[in-house]
Amino acid sequence: MGGALVFWVGVVTVGICVGALFAFKGMTDPTLWRTCSVLSVTCCYLMWAITYLAQLHPLIIPKRDDLRIDL
Amino acid sequence: MPSRGWGMLRARPKTTSIFRSEVMSLVQLYIPSDVARFTVSQLGEMGLVEFRDLNADVSAFQRSFVSDVRRFDEIERKLRYLRLQIERSDVDVYDFLDEDFAGRSRGPRDIDEMEERISAHESRVLKLTAAYKSLQLKHLELVENKHVLEEVSSLFSEITGRQQQPSVARGGSIGRSGTAGSSANRYDTAPLLGRTDTSSRRSIGSMDAARAGDALAFDVEAGSAIGHDINVGFITGVISRDRISTLERVLWRSLRGNMFLNYVDIEEPIHDPKQDGPVYKSAFIVFAHGESLRDRATKIAESLGATLYHVDSSAERRQEELIDTMSRIDDLHQILENNNVARVNELTSVSEQITTWFTVVRKEKAIYHTLNLCNYDANRNCLIAEGWCASNDIAAVQSALHIATEDAGSNVPTVLQELRTTKEPPTFIRTNKFTDGFQNIVDAYGVPKAGEVNPGLFTCITFPFLFALMFGDLGHGFLMTICAGLLCFYERKLAWLAKDESMRMFYSGRYIILLMGIFSMYTGFLYNDIFSRAMGIFSSGWAWPTDAGGEGVTVEATKLGHTYAIGIDPTWHHASNSLLFTNSYKMKMSIVLGVIHMTLGICLQVPNALHFKKRINILHVFVPQIIFLFSIFGYLVFTILFKWSTDWYARDASGELTHVSPPSLLNMLIYMFLSPGNVNESERMFRGQAVLQTFLLLIALVCVPWMLLVKPLILRREHRKIISEGYGRISTHVRVSAEDDTMGGAVVLTEQEEMEEDDFDFADIMINQSIHTIEFCLNSISNTASYLRLWALSLAHAQLSEVLWTMTFLPTLKMSGAIQPIAIMCGFSVWFTLTFFILIGMEGLSAFLHALRLHWVEFNNKFYDGTGVKFEPFSFKAILDEAEE
Repeated sequence: MGGALVFWVGVVTVGICVGALFAFKGMTDPTLWRTCSVLSVTCCYLMWAITYLAQLHPLIIPKRDDLRIDL
Repeated sequence: MPSRGWGMLRARPKTTSIFRSEVMSLVQLYIPSDVARFTVSQLGEMGLVEFRDLNADVSAFQRSFVSDVRRFDEIERKLRYLRLQIERSDVDVYDFLDEDFAGRSRGPRDIDEMEERISAHESRVLKLTAAYKSLQLKHLELVENKHVLEEVSSLFSEITGRQQQPSVARGGSIGRSGTAGSSANRYDTAPLLGRTDTSSRRSIGSMDAARAGDALAFDVEAGSAIGHDINVGFITGVISRDRISTLERVLWRSLRGNMFLNYVDIEEPIHDPKQDGPVYKSAFIVFAHGESLRDRATKIAESLGATLYHVDSSAERRQEELIDTMSRIDDLHQILENNNVARVNELTSVSEQITTWFTVVRKEKAIYHTLNLCNYDANRNCLIAEGWCASNDIAAVQSALHIATEDAGSNVPTVLQELRTTKEPPTFIRTNKFTDGFQNIVDAYGVPKAGEVNPGLFTCITFPFLFALMFGDLGHGFLMTICAGLLCFYERKLAWLAKDESMRMFYSGRYIILLMGIFSMYTGFLYNDIFSRAMGIFSSGWAWPTDAGGEGVTVEATKLGHTYAIGIDPTWHHASNSLLFTNSYKMKMSIVLGVIHMTLGICLQVPNALHFKKRINILHVFVPQIIFLFSIFGYLVFTILFKWSTDWYARDASGELTHVSPPSLLNMLIYMFLSPGNVNESERMFRGQAVLQTFLLLIALVCVPWMLLVKPLILRREHRKIISEGYGRISTHVRVSAEDDTMGGAVVLTEQEEMEEDDFDFADIMINQSIHTIEFCLNSISNTASYLRLWALSLAHAQLSEVLWTMTFLPTLKMSGAIQPIAIMCGFSVWFTLTFFILIGMEGLSAFLHALRLHWVEFNNKFYDGTGVKFEPFSFKAILDEAEE
């Protein structure tokens, strides 16, 4: 999977955004709804992608000193 | 073909969007005089037109309809008086609005009738109130008199008793206030004059004269025990209790001690109509020697606010007077009661109508205020009005005009025509209940110019999102969503909140809070925080060792083959080095999202430039700016993503590390400026990095003079070209005229408009441009750094909620024994209260303010002027709302 997932989800996101640009025909203010949906999908994607990428190749390893051993 | 003033630049369909303000038209209305009131009233109901003042040079007192405005001012004053009376007499205001009367156009006869009724009501209430007041004064007088009669008797007896039977008198005087009434009765029969002890009593010579003349003062034989002639008179009266000591002192000093004062507190409070509440008073008696001293005492007492009453010195007379007074009080009571009933009835009938009348009067006053803005053409007997309205609404305005003409029963139609103008129209952004709150955020910074891109559209999503980055917690976001969701769901029922001073902010911003809550839930989910706890929904990318560990022994997790699918791995939550990871992650995320946000801002210059037909702004402002930003911070974002997506500890087939070590991006950025062309071998990310960095740096450097010089130079060249071709400025004033002057002779008094001053001043432009350039270059650095607040506040929020959990709730869970359930209950309530008020309330407010700053400064700075003027149409609704407050 790895970084490719970020790319493919990105492609889907762009698809959704393009789709949203042609939706909301019947609304009173289509521009508002189009902009809102494109922006929110983009924001959510960006944040997920950044979070995912940040953990893809970790430089530090989680440590803890309070682990109990199950015997 | 109708002209469409400002709409010259616009040939696109008339869709309504908050991306830009509405296209506005300057319209001129020719309204026949007899329809004028109906027309303006109809337009006020619809609230579509902002009238311009065509009589700006005429003072408020010289306008055509001043007398009408005054008339309604007067009616409004009467109504205010009536409402005050209604409030005072505790009549319930019947909150009923007669839609039939208030909501439609009213004829002049209706208004006259209303005015008559209001005046009649007012005069009746005035009369009744005056009568009530005078009766009350009378009543007060009688009541006080009664008290004086009662109390003074006791004083008399006390004094005389002291001489004769000291022990009895003392006994009476002890109950000064407590048993005043009873003591008065007890000593009622004690004679004041005509004492039995004739040997010690001497008739005082002036007694008869005093009885005939001075009504207040009587000679009394009080000091008779001393046994020689003295002329002692007394005055009696009532004074408020707190003044009595002052009275005593002043009398003592001014009469040099030649007086004797005694007083009794009247136990029951007295209702003085001059004062608000009940007043406690005392009855007093002053004995003074000689007429002049008595006069002086009288004056002093009156100046201190005492009311003096005549009391006869004989007990029998006093008794008679008392009985007489009592019966008069009873009579007066009856009259007062009747008067009050009549008054309340009157006010009740007013209260049924008063809301309607207030509405009507305010509307009518607004109508005449608006008519005062119009120009009156006496020749043609019509009014000329000018105003702005949205081009989309012209049809609605026209139908309103039609309705008004029909209402008035006239067959002369009102004529509407659009004017061509170079005037800057007011900004009208058609918001709905969802966008309204966001538009308020933008308007607080500055109202967009007409045609300018409105940041409100983008703020709708970016604002809650940036807020959520700082507030990310699924639990807190959920609570916030619930609260805002309730506000939105019951918005009709809760509309009264909008009038409440402290709740108005939350009510008007309910949709902002709702979106903030929803986005906070999303970011909280990605941060993997629910009330600072972790959620293990997906399979973790790390595994803790099962064979090692123990208290104090540091163990490391082992990496599994996959990455946590959505959000931060819950393993980090328990790790001792989790802050190292989350800080690096959140800082980088802040920079990446910040640069994207600023890029959006810079890109919004393009639609602005296209709309205002300023190609130069795209080529020589937008392009160099975006190149500058991308060559430095775009590159930084690129390296952040590059570093994330590279496996720095990967080994090739022979087991050698393919990379030297992960680079430090901060150092990279610093050395990109300090030693261009050199990249430390251990810090190198990819081949050709040094060359690329030098290239980007050079581009960024080139952009600076490009931004600084090119635009002013081009403007100067164009200006010189115009001058050399002989087109100077012809005149500073251009007369605006109606499109087709079919009105034949109608004096179209549209005032001369000043053209925009376009004096070309190269130095001015140059200074502006250099400020702009320097600001942009410096701001691109400081603004990027400013987005780090996203990280800082998010860190603070996460840590605070973690601390709250471990300090208040967690210890109760670890307890044992019987008190644990109670401890858990207490711990939970403390934890929940603090969570709600500190973490959601206070932290939410601080995150809100930081998100606000990021929009006002970092985002709006890039493209937004915000120098427009808000469109404020003439609307009854707005006027009535304003009057309510």
